[in-house]
Amino acid sequence: MIINHPLLGPRDASEFTYLGDASLIDRPDWQAEDAQQQFHDYLYLRDNPAGEHRELWFHEQGDRSWLVVTRNTLTHEITGVELARDVAMQRGRGR
Amino acid sequence: MPSLVANSPLGDFRQEFDGLEVAEVTGLAIVSIATPHGREAELAGAVLDAWGIEFPPVGASIESTAGEIRILGLQPGQVFALFQRDDERPAEAIARKIGDYGYYTDQSDSWAILRISGDRSREALERICALDLHPDVFKTGGVARTVMEHLGVIVLRDKDDAFLLLSARSSAPSFLHAVVTSAKNIQ
Repeated sequence: MIINHPLLGPRDASEFTYLGDASLIDRPDWQAEDAQQQFHDYLYLRDNPAGEHRELWFHEQGDRSWLVVTRNTLTHEITGVELARDVAMQRGRGR
Repeated sequence: MPSLVANSPLGDFRQEFDGLEVAEVTGLAIVSIATPHGREAELAGAVLDAWGIEFPPVGASIESTAGEIRILGLQPGQVFALFQRDDERPAEAIARKIGDYGYYTDQSDSWAILRISGDRSREALERICALDLHPDVFKTGGVARTVMEHLGVIVLRDKDDAFLLLSARSSAPSFLHAVVTSAKNIQ
């Protein structure tokens, strides 16, 4: 499997490690009123789609960047690769 | 007072094969420069003032015109500086030149450096390196961190037919074995 890194170009998947669903970026506010419920959902509830899935990959044997990879779980086709940092900032995170 | 002899990681290894040579490179200082968040422009300005070169983007390296230093763009927020080592501590030498704009770490003794050169060097590397090393894709001066035989390697193309390979000193003999085996396999 080849991951087309936004900065470095195509790299073999063996250089990467996999973390999981990209929704892990949206860590809840620990001071919210319903923080316990939010963290329960954040930790335990995952979609398990047969098809397009957005997930976090770490380029451990490369430039050490976190990526959000859009992958089809049925075909392994990769249709999008973004820097996780950019995705997090788009969602309103400071860095 | 015991008298100590400094050994290089690979004992000054050098071997010639048909069409290529594999040799250890010694005497280079390696300093990691981490960019402080929000002060990237100041650091780039200090590098420009000190050596007259731009700050390299990720995947490229830039050598000063006088050839005294080469800066490798490894990843967002981090570059390596390579230069000839002298008596001064490498991280202090960098700080003296460009001031307090980055976080400097001396990594000179952490890496073993191999140079693989000759017109068949790419042929020898293609068996252990998953990167596309074709000169149209990986140009002279190009730099990349990858794996060969499960060992982390920084690859720098310093000439059309020559590559500098940096790998961890702790596993350097295994890395040398992988490179030499690959060189033998194309004979």
